[in-house]
Amino acid sequence: MTNHWVDIKNADVIMMNGSNAAENHPASMTWIHKAREDRKAKLIVVDPRVTRSAAKADLYVPIRSGTDLAFYGGLFKYILDNKLYHQEYVVHFTNAANLINADYKGPEELDGLFSGFADGGGGFGKYDRATWGYQVDAEGKALRDETLQDSNCVLQIMRRHYARYDLDSVSSITGCPKGTLEAAYALYASTGAPDKVGTILYAMGQTQHTVGSQNVRAMGMLQLLLGNVGRPGGGVNALRGESNVQGSTDMGLLAHLLTAYMPMTTSADPDLATYLENKTKPGGAWSGGYWTNGPKFFTSLLKAWWGEHATPDNSFAYDYLPKVESAANHYWISIFEAMHAGKVKGLWIMGQNPAVAGPNARFEREALLQLDWMVIQELFQTETVAFWQAPGLNPADVKTEVFVLPAADAMEKEGSIVTSGRLIQWRPKVAEAVGEALADHDILHLMALKLKELYQADPGPFPDPILDLTWDYGGGPTHPVVGELLDINKVAREINGFAVEDLLDDKGVVLAKKGDMFNTFARLTNDGKTACGCWVFAGYYAPASDGDGNTMPASKRRGQKDPGGLGLYPYWGFAWPLNRRIVYNRCSADANGKPWPGGRDLIWWDATADSGTKDADGKPILGKWVGNDVPDFVVTRAPDGAGGRDAFIMRTDGKGGLFAAMNEGPLPVHYEPMESPTTNLLYPNRPVNPTIKVWKTNEGQGVGDNWGTADKFPIVATTYRVVEHWQAGGMSRWLEWLAEAQPDMFVEMSEELAAEKGIKSGDKAKVRSARGEIQAVAIVTKRFKPFTVNGKTVHQVGMPWHFGWGGGSEAPALAKGDAANDLTPHVGDANTMIPEYKAFLVDLEKA
Amino acid sequence: MSVKIKGTSGTFQIRWIPKYTFLERLGHWVHAAAYIPLAITGFMLFAPWFEPLTQGSAGQTYRFLHRIFSIALGIMPIVYAVLQPRRLWMHLRENFRFTREDIGWLKAAIPYYILGRHVEMPPQPRFNTGERLNAVTIIIGTVLFGVTGLLMWFGRGYIPTWMYRLAVIIHDLTAIVTFAMFIVHFFLAVVHPLMWQSLVSMRYGVVSESYAREHHAMWYYGEKRAREMWEKHKAEKEEQQPAEQER
Amino acid sequence: MTDRYAMYIDTSKCMACRGCQVACKQWNDLQGYVPGVRETVNTGTYENPLRLDPQTWTRIKFREYDDGERFQWLFLKEGCMHCAEAACVDVCPTRALKHGPHGITTYERDLCNGCGYCSQFCPFHVPQLEVINRLTGEAKNSKCTFCQDRTTNGLNPACVKTCPAGALDWGDRNAILDKAKARVELLKTEWGFPKANIYGETQLGGLGRIYVLTAPPSAYDLPEKPSYPVSATLWQKILQPVGGVVLTVTTLGAFVVYLASRRHIEMEKVE
Repeated sequence: MTNHWVDIKNADVIMMNGSNAAENHPASMTWIHKAREDRKAKLIVVDPRVTRSAAKADLYVPIRSGTDLAFYGGLFKYILDNKLYHQEYVVHFTNAANLINADYKGPEELDGLFSGFADGGGGFGKYDRATWGYQVDAEGKALRDETLQDSNCVLQIMRRHYARYDLDSVSSITGCPKGTLEAAYALYASTGAPDKVGTILYAMGQTQHTVGSQNVRAMGMLQLLLGNVGRPGGGVNALRGESNVQGSTDMGLLAHLLTAYMPMTTSADPDLATYLENKTKPGGAWSGGYWTNGPKFFTSLLKAWWGEHATPDNSFAYDYLPKVESAANHYWISIFEAMHAGKVKGLWIMGQNPAVAGPNARFEREALLQLDWMVIQELFQTETVAFWQAPGLNPADVKTEVFVLPAADAMEKEGSIVTSGRLIQWRPKVAEAVGEALADHDILHLMALKLKELYQADPGPFPDPILDLTWDYGGGPTHPVVGELLDINKVAREINGFAVEDLLDDKGVVLAKKGDMFNTFARLTNDGKTACGCWVFAGYYAPASDGDGNTMPASKRRGQKDPGGLGLYPYWGFAWPLNRRIVYNRCSADANGKPWPGGRDLIWWDATADSGTKDADGKPILGKWVGNDVPDFVVTRAPDGAGGRDAFIMRTDGKGGLFAAMNEGPLPVHYEPMESPTTNLLYPNRPVNPTIKVWKTNEGQGVGDNWGTADKFPIVATTYRVVEHWQAGGMSRWLEWLAEAQPDMFVEMSEELAAEKGIKSGDKAKVRSARGEIQAVAIVTKRFKPFTVNGKTVHQVGMPWHFGWGGGSEAPALAKGDAANDLTPHVGDANTMIPEYKAFLVDLEKA
Repeated sequence: MSVKIKGTSGTFQIRWIPKYTFLERLGHWVHAAAYIPLAITGFMLFAPWFEPLTQGSAGQTYRFLHRIFSIALGIMPIVYAVLQPRRLWMHLRENFRFTREDIGWLKAAIPYYILGRHVEMPPQPRFNTGERLNAVTIIIGTVLFGVTGLLMWFGRGYIPTWMYRLAVIIHDLTAIVTFAMFIVHFFLAVVHPLMWQSLVSMRYGVVSESYAREHHAMWYYGEKRAREMWEKHKAEKEEQQPAEQER
Repeated sequence: MTDRYAMYIDTSKCMACRGCQVACKQWNDLQGYVPGVRETVNTGTYENPLRLDPQTWTRIKFREYDDGERFQWLFLKEGCMHCAEAACVDVCPTRALKHGPHGITTYERDLCNGCGYCSQFCPFHVPQLEVINRLTGEAKNSKCTFCQDRTTNGLNPACVKTCPAGALDWGDRNAILDKAKARVELLKTEWGFPKANIYGETQLGGLGRIYVLTAPPSAYDLPEKPSYPVSATLWQKILQPVGGVVLTVTTLGAFVVYLASRRHIEMEKVE
């Protein structure tokens, strides 16, 4: 989230799209209700069916799954046509005024494509982004027209781009009545007024599509146009799908990242100098904005990992880092495709249930059979733990050696977790794990020590990365069976970052003594004097005040003072980066540093305040940003000076990107999902995102990458979560109170569809896609209504994906059922590969 | 049979004749032995008169006993019906038959039982009016108890609540009426000095011949003859009356 | 009852997360899905269990309601209403059910003898008899107690504590009524719920639950006019005293007749 949970109470309009926050983030309703009570805020919920969130909405907007970009496109057109964007904000804080290369052509000219497309066959390919850049002057500075009239400026390009997203077309694509669309547009666009702020809450309903990244792009653009980013009650707010998944992405668990969103080293970066050069050269990811400090962060990371073995002489042990193939795709779907092809020998799973959660789950379960070995850390005997006992399998045929490591649950271990709002909170251990169950970090600790031992004994060709790896985390509690465990505080310290030697500024003043933790990443250097495991977290474990006179590691704080009354609670925990509760908060003030009207003053420019520095004559330099939050900006940079309006400090040009390059283009285009019941009304020759990767393994066979078409599978399907269960069910289907409340797999359908199929509520239904068939209890409901799409009736159904056959025979789940993911397709987003769980095709009948 | 009893003032002879069969008597005593505990345990649930006894596992036990005894109460008529169905049928017909003589009995009963005055009572069959009233009450009552009791026992949760509540009310009313009747019955059959033979008859199944002649003339002489005797007696009395009035 | 407390239940805020259903089970050590003992199945709705039962003292009812103006998916937290005129208390022979502190209809399990009258006389069909043995009649009542162990110690009921939507509250009944009235007014004037109403203000002498509803009570399958059962009045207020009088009079009468008869009857004359 760019903002945070409590901040929702500051919004005037809350739009929930692709999120069912009432069910999947119930605590958020506290703040949503507060906004409605205290500020008469309105809640819009956009969803194919009436969820428990939509049941609370002021305005419910039904759209067919996979048509969000049409919805947003229509909203952009509405905002641009009616001039509802926040003019001053857009001019100063976004690249709306920037002029784009005159050779740029958009889909309205190229029938659904952008300029630079190279077709790789079958309508799929890659873009060369050369024509998407800014027009620059002789010094390389971008050309801008702040009157927003130049036909090459971003705003005008957007106007042309979204011209065809009129209400009739959008209604026809989404199946949403025109009146409802217009009401939603008017209500949300009202937050473009300078004194109004709107927030967007989204989750997997936006991201789990082949155009998922574009959905998020669209939300970012929307909030920029309306002047809602960086302001209390606004922002682009991802409601993360799992406790601490925010922490996991922060800590680099994605295949293409190191910690803190630094790119993974690839074969294009054979040495440190090249890696850094590739990032910092013009056009590189670290070529402008705050990321120019990237080398410091990267070096400090290497120093953290290899300690004394990382020195300036050996490029800080850069060679110890593995290099993946440049442009390699090691995301989930790719891993399972490779596994299916026999290329992956072993799999180590920590707290995940791929047998139920993976797309095209039958294919993925078949892939698991190819493994030589699997190690799995879990609480219960889930469908993956006991995958060799799945129905239809003969255990004797399964050759995989499976090691089950019982894991401790969240309450049984100490450490920090990060909420969707970037808030890091340290949590104590409050219960003992049962039997020999260990915390994941202790399991990793024991593995690391054992690996070091084995490599010491039998080095092989290159044991150094393991042997030299910093692993001084011992000294934790003693476990009766495995002995000494990890001391989590040592790990936290390394992640936070500390001075390897005394740090002095250019005047010889000691900034940090050797061994001290930093409270800001501004201390990090690229000379090996600093170590930091995750630069955005810097400060989270360093001592800080809780506002009541106590000092402790920042993430352990529970201070409840709230200066300004905006719900920032700066003394509670630690929000990365640097405890900024709302990022991009330069945008909370106008071009001259004065807060926008509306009573949500966050930070402002105080021209008379002592900046803390002195000029050449020794007189104090006046002027700094002050307020209720930590400024996400150089504190002494004047609003009307150089860079005083470059609020988006992580972007190379400091401007919010209305026009910004991603794999499928610089602007979101409506494409249909891979499996769609209809043609792309706007670009019939471009049905699908042209830059996605489509596998065809075993296509046409019983279990394989099969693609369904509307003639055989006319019904749109989506998968989702319900409040009673958790993800693939590993943490809820074994619990009696939850299993009782939601015991069976079900499929929700409209009364109209049920009547067509002769199905009554409570009957068993068979649901089939090109990839599999499952059974589920039918819930016939008024909450789904058929859509009229392109003049035809299109039905949609929905299913939860929590259920599986129950796991091992000794302690099966209490709540069991078929897995919805047996139906979902093995295809993902063009940028992130996140699977398209949310829109595919099925057919169904009474079982 | 005849029994000679030697008293202080001489001997007198009683001739005993059988009145109640073994099954009739057994039924009576089983019914009584079941009814008393049923009444006590039942009243615990009806009203707060025995509240401390109703609570906790003690209360649970008494409720259980109520069911045990209710089986006894209900089983007896069934046993009777199985063993002597024709006799039972005759018994029922006897008890449910009310004639014009019963009004006369009722009028005469008050001076008789309170003051011991042998007023003229119309002839009675084997069961006199009072006994028949008692029997009818008890028989209907037992049927009502059984039906409503079974509904409450096995039907709770299955039958609609209005039916259950109605069953409770009927069970309550039946309890009040039958217990009031029981008080009267017990008093008249056991306590009342004039009725010493009733206990004997229900224990041993016999009454004295003179008692039978006096109190159950229709049974002793037969209905037709008893009525004739009664009419004759009434006619004789009327002859005397006007004569007295003239004086 | 000036000390009367009530539970505020705002169905306009409730999102049926079932936190209350689970918190109640957790606090009161009640069972959920136990294979072979208590199993639920999906009957075509999110609603489960389908009724209150001995191990479920509160649950959420789901109803889809379309009055032609606005479709609503209604959620109702069901449980003991803690009525001021509680038929269950009046028919309970053991006084296991009583009007307790704060106006809670309290329940003492030790005193219960399992007769089940409470379950049959409640106008809302709330008390659930846990039948241990249908033949012997061994059973115990089971129902929401407004967490009497918590509320008599200054805490909120478990459900109120857990509700993330802020739909539940607990406190002085008059204050809760004021809150509910203000909320209904707001719902009508600003939130587009012209049929918003309060349920529980006057029914049965005033319920211990004050519901803010956005649709008529019947839409939630709540009785529009719940009433104290006539049969309970008949039994408790009429038959009990009448029965007592009848039996007493009969006994006394018999005694009087006995005395009179002893006086007047000469036993020597008796045959």
